[in-house]
Amino acid sequence: MSYLRLIGQRLVMLVLTLWGLATLVFFMVKLIPGDEAQIAAGPGASPAQVAAVAARLGLDAPIHEQYVRFIARLLRGDLGASILSSQPVLNDLMKVLPCTIELMAASAVIGTVLAFSAALCANMRPGGVIDSLTRIGAIVGGGLPTFWLALMMQYLLGTVWRIAPISGHNAFGMAAPTVTGMPTIDAVIAGNPAAFANALRYLALPAVVLAVSFAGQAFRVLRASLLAALASEMVPPVRAKGASHARILVRHALPNSLVPTINVLGTLIGGMMGGVILVETVFARRGVGTYLANAVAQKDTFAVLGTVMFIGAFVCLVNLIADIAELVVDPRLRTTAFGGHA
Amino acid sequence: MAARVETAAAPARRRLLPYFALHEWLVFLTVAFLVLMALVGPALAPSGIYRSNILNALAPPSAEHWFGTDDQGRDVLWRVVAGAQISLLSSILIVVLYSLIGVAVATAATLGPRWLDEVIMRGTDIGLALPGLVVALGFAAALGPSIQSGIIAMALTGWPMTARLLRTTMRQTMEQPFVDGARALGVSPARLMLTHVLPNSLDVLIVKWAGDINNTLLILASLSFIGVGAQPPSPEWGAMISAGRSTMSTAWWAVAAPGAAVAVTAIAFGFLGDILQARRDPSLRKR
Repeated sequence: MSYLRLIGQRLVMLVLTLWGLATLVFFMVKLIPGDEAQIAAGPGASPAQVAAVAARLGLDAPIHEQYVRFIARLLRGDLGASILSSQPVLNDLMKVLPCTIELMAASAVIGTVLAFSAALCANMRPGGVIDSLTRIGAIVGGGLPTFWLALMMQYLLGTVWRIAPISGHNAFGMAAPTVTGMPTIDAVIAGNPAAFANALRYLALPAVVLAVSFAGQAFRVLRASLLAALASEMVPPVRAKGASHARILVRHALPNSLVPTINVLGTLIGGMMGGVILVETVFARRGVGTYLANAVAQKDTFAVLGTVMFIGAFVCLVNLIADIAELVVDPRLRTTAFGGHA
Repeated sequence: MAARVETAAAPARRRLLPYFALHEWLVFLTVAFLVLMALVGPALAPSGIYRSNILNALAPPSAEHWFGTDDQGRDVLWRVVAGAQISLLSSILIVVLYSLIGVAVATAATLGPRWLDEVIMRGTDIGLALPGLVVALGFAAALGPSIQSGIIAMALTGWPMTARLLRTTMRQTMEQPFVDGARALGVSPARLMLTHVLPNSLDVLIVKWAGDINNTLLILASLSFIGVGAQPPSPEWGAMISAGRSTMSTAWWAVAAPGAAVAVTAIAFGFLGDILQARRDPSLRKR
């Protein structure tokens, strides 16, 4: 099984998944109660206008033709337009995507560091006190509703103790000129340390809140795979050689449990997208999640479904990257790919 | 023959029962209390929680209102108790519904021809690759925001993991000698499935359901919070948090109490899932 063929397989799966997602969204559009053309034309439209919109959207065609047209439209990158603003959904989303990526990346880093250090501490003595405590912590962290945690932290740290900013990206007048759309990176590009520190302060609380459930799930996976690695037959010889438990854990068990974990981390980062919607809404940050929540609040169903398609595609892409990262990290696959030692 | 099949399956079932540690009893009692609250809560709650009493709005916690009152002057604690029914029973209903879909899909994949199995498994791959909350949100928004939409949306999107796990177990069960025995005795495929294969494969679901409820409860509350699930004035916990958000800076209790209810319930079911998992696979506990 060569390297390229594995990547090819993943790409085929990506295309299939996107197609499945598109089909789901098509069904969602058809599920909307009431006349699609009437909704698209707006409540005050005359019958003639509604008929014109129906013809333009191809709603008079049989359902399979509508489906083909829908897929063709998506292939052109057209996710539909907002009913309220008539703006193409994709344009609006691309403008706010960098902000969302910044938040997710910060959370993924915080969550991964937390999960790895907790799992390593827990496995220093499996079944010991720290092991039990971290496992309880993981379940408790995974059970806290993200949006509630966000609201409570915002209230406690922002309103009561006034340690953290409540919402937004920058203090007034502190924003660096927009280049990438990510406030922290923009501040670095502008070479403005004050703006960077400010943007970081605004990013910290949302990122930590979003990282909690991610860290809990990542911890459980990593702990289990470390335990499995510690039980494998390579460990007794290393121990006989005189290596300490810490050394076995870090030098031998950790690298071996990394490969399955990377894939799961990718899935979890994709799964973070649900939390992103909630956290962005609570902290009033620009982003895909806020866009979606606003569309829901304004009953802009076409914009909601366009965003669902967008987020689904984004998550598939993250999963693909994780799959490829797994291939790159796994030395067994690397050696077969290049026919010898890399 | 049938009797022998049952004795073969018995040890696996007996393993669930023996002695429990103190913390395990604590989890069981909490879950039992929550389920009881969901069943009788609305009947016990005073009728005042469904009427607004503006004069008493946003009162802080006191002896009369333990968790204060919300922006409509309704008692928060009693609303949380009454909301257990919508939040918890809806979650349980969702898990039951998508488990049924999962069982049907897994049965079709096990019994059907090879190509059908392949199609179904690729389908579940697709389902597992998509973020559950986001797809459910799309369905619920399309159906029109309401608790029913939330339930339908989550039942439609929750089944792939169940189908995947059950199909693997059912394939393993199909290899067992007693299945060949039943076949040799001329048992019909439907009967073989219902009385032999399914009952011997279901323990994977029995272990999974508690964790599923934990997850479902959180997603359902999130849907209501975003605004596509239960709508105010419903005492559903997510909807209560959503409604309390606007008065958060003056009345934190209206958000804190329903959220704590979600957290306690989710954590209790999370621990329950962990206990069941450890009972089934002791190697996970310690080495």
